[in-house]
Amino acid sequence: MSKHSALNTFGRSGNPAFTKNFTNTDTSSLPLAERMTLDGAVNKTAILLGLCFSGAFLGWNMPILVIPGAIIGFILAMVTIFRSPSKAGATAPFYALFQGMALGGITMFAEMQYPGIGIQAIGLTFGILASLLFCYKSGIIKPTENFKLMIVSATMGIMFLYLISFIMSFFGPGIGFIHSNGLFGIGFSLFVVAIAALNLVLDFDFIEEGAEKGMPKYMEWYGAFSLMVTLVWLYMEILRLLMKIRSR
Amino acid sequence: MNTIFFSLLTVASLFIFMNLGKVRASKKQTDRDDRINRFGSKRQVHQNRDGSKIIEGEAEEIKNEDQK
Repeated sequence: MSKHSALNTFGRSGNPAFTKNFTNTDTSSLPLAERMTLDGAVNKTAILLGLCFSGAFLGWNMPILVIPGAIIGFILAMVTIFRSPSKAGATAPFYALFQGMALGGITMFAEMQYPGIGIQAIGLTFGILASLLFCYKSGIIKPTENFKLMIVSATMGIMFLYLISFIMSFFGPGIGFIHSNGLFGIGFSLFVVAIAALNLVLDFDFIEEGAEKGMPKYMEWYGAFSLMVTLVWLYMEILRLLMKIRSR
Repeated sequence: MNTIFFSLLTVASLFIFMNLGKVRASKKQTDRDDRINRFGSKRQVHQNRDGSKIIEGEAEEIKNEDQK
């Protein structure tokens, strides 16, 4: 039981994939071959990234797949998080494929308006991934309970704001200033990119701790899936930020 | 030029991720008292900053008679 009552109330991570409680998982009887490893989690992340790029190729060439890809990807993410984390090995590859289709189509539309923006967003996303991984592994950034509480609060706040903006858009212009290309809009996007990037640190810590404590093998897929969820969010936010900057 | 730079950044970053991701985090990262504990702690012995160890449990008075 954490001594931080707020964490117990709001969950234990910024990434919704990590709000699941795994503290009662007994790993002492598991054979070594059935335990989570760092190698396994990284390899599975690579498989998901490969599937995401394949989906993106399809989405780029068939933009009609954008909306089905986004909806099916969202449903698969919800199923993986809330219904069956232990089945992540079956759902995560399809999630990556369908989200890839959505991202490929969205990137194609962005490229039509601002040529070269896609590769910039991809480069920045993976650049942030590698630099934060280095910062985490070397101990420059140390995730603590307070750090997690801060990221949880900010992520939930952003999600809540996006939800309100989405609902308001049915009745009028929505919360326009967060989507504008003015200084406030760009500042907001920078803040969201920073929060999405810091969620990566929580993902790395989850995988590191899971491997250290010998969690079951399926957690490799779950860790890789969680990393993919954050990467997809980070990529979308970077793309939005670049579009705002280019449209000025 | 722009495309080449960002393509190289992507490839280099993926290479770093694939290699660095498989390496365990430094002691500075893993041996901390304020680490996030998601899966429940297995450790019963905690180490202080000065290197001394604290063993959890109830304190028990040792009488001279017991030692005999």
